Amino acid sequence: MQVGNVNLFGVLIHRYEEKMIRYSRKFFSDQEDIKDVVQEIFLKAYENIKSFDTKRKFSSWFYRIAHNELVNALRKKRKILPLLDLDIFLPHYFHDDTLRRNIDKQDIKEIIDKCLDKLDLKYKEPLILYYFEELSYQEIADILQVPISTVGVRMKRAKEKIKSIYKISGYNL
Amino acid sequence: MTTDNQEKKSSLVDNVLERIKSGQIRMRPKFYFILKTILAIGGIMLIGGFTLFLISFIAFHLRASGIWYLPGFGPQGFGAYLKLLPWFLIFIGVILILVLEILAKRFALIYRRPIFYSLLAIILIALIGGFLIDKTPLHPGLFLQARRGELPLMAPVYREFGMPRFENVHRGIVEELTENGFILRKTDQELLTVILFPDTQFPFGKEIKEGDSIVVMGERDDGRVRAFAIRRIDDQFETFEHRLPRPPMK
Repeated sequence: MQVGNVNLFGVLIHRYEEKMIRYSRKFFSDQEDIKDVVQEIFLKAYENIKSFDTKRKFSSWFYRIAHNELVNALRKKRKILPLLDLDIFLPHYFHDDTLRRNIDKQDIKEIIDKCLDKLDLKYKEPLILYYFEELSYQEIADILQVPISTVGVRMKRAKEKIKSIYKISGYNL
Repeated sequence: MTTDNQEKKSSLVDNVLERIKSGQIRMRPKFYFILKTILAIGGIMLIGGFTLFLISFIAFHLRASGIWYLPGFGPQGFGAYLKLLPWFLIFIGVILILVLEILAKRFALIYRRPIFYSLLAIILIALIGGFLIDKTPLHPGLFLQARRGELPLMAPVYREFGMPRFENVHRGIVEELTENGFILRKTDQELLTVILFPDTQFPFGKEIKEGDSIVVMGERDDGRVRAFAIRRIDDQFETFEHRLPRPPMK
């Protein structure tokens, strides 16, 4: 594909369009906005395909482009995004509890979907990438270009926020 | 609904492929990304080098002016030290360090760690590097060249910061001992009469002889200084201080 085969790029679009539409839908409700953003994501991917390092995971590279385009689109829509975030500034303790996270996945995906609109982008995006796009913490960290511990902290805070939104006692978030 | 979705999807694919095939969107060559990386690394090296130069220059300025030694004169000296620090240069240094952090954030090695660590590493490298450069004869050498008029571009900078005129801090060489003090030849060759009083402090020893490099803290009144505190100093700049060209005798 990196040699410029457009038909092969068509295959890539088919492979990722469903995922990209689903991903963008979590940030925009207007169908036209979603269509525009997804188109831009694919065009940017084509434009920058030669920056992809074949030793790395393609999905992380692709979601990084998608993340950048979504942030640009949100800025254009004047949805305020923070310039500096203390989550990236300070070191955090991070415990990779994969087993518990797998149990969480089954339980909370549905409830997260209902309250995504009430969360800030910095909490919303890791949740979407983890629960809906099924990416690992390391992949999410590379896509957002933040330390892995920051992803862990944001996920934890996002869950706490959802808990406080729903005030569900005894729900294992 | 399913047909609707399929239509939307195919129009999206068609739109993207059409724009690519029509040449509206072109694949950027590999060279473009290599160049971007080279420019980023070059930028980091350039700004990093300038930051090291600036920090070493600040250290040189502090030593050459005598400000560096003021905290040794007690609370009054420390107050003067804070007041006389080159805050403008320090502000530029902070900006350069922030720019370095932003440029370095492009690389996984940096963004995978909290900003606190990368910023701390950049600050430490800049400070250690800057102070190591300050130990070399670079700035005193440039200062001498600037004084001889061999560095037209740098001369104003070294004139402004290398030989600052402060009302209560004076660095120079003891030209001649007098009955109640001594004559001080400053870096800019101005002669000052320093008068000692019983309450003059000598936090680092009283022994002063002709040719010593010293810092005097005290209010200046015309060509005379009422010494509040005095210390003899021994640093890199001292060697050059003795080599500074004297003005012709009148």
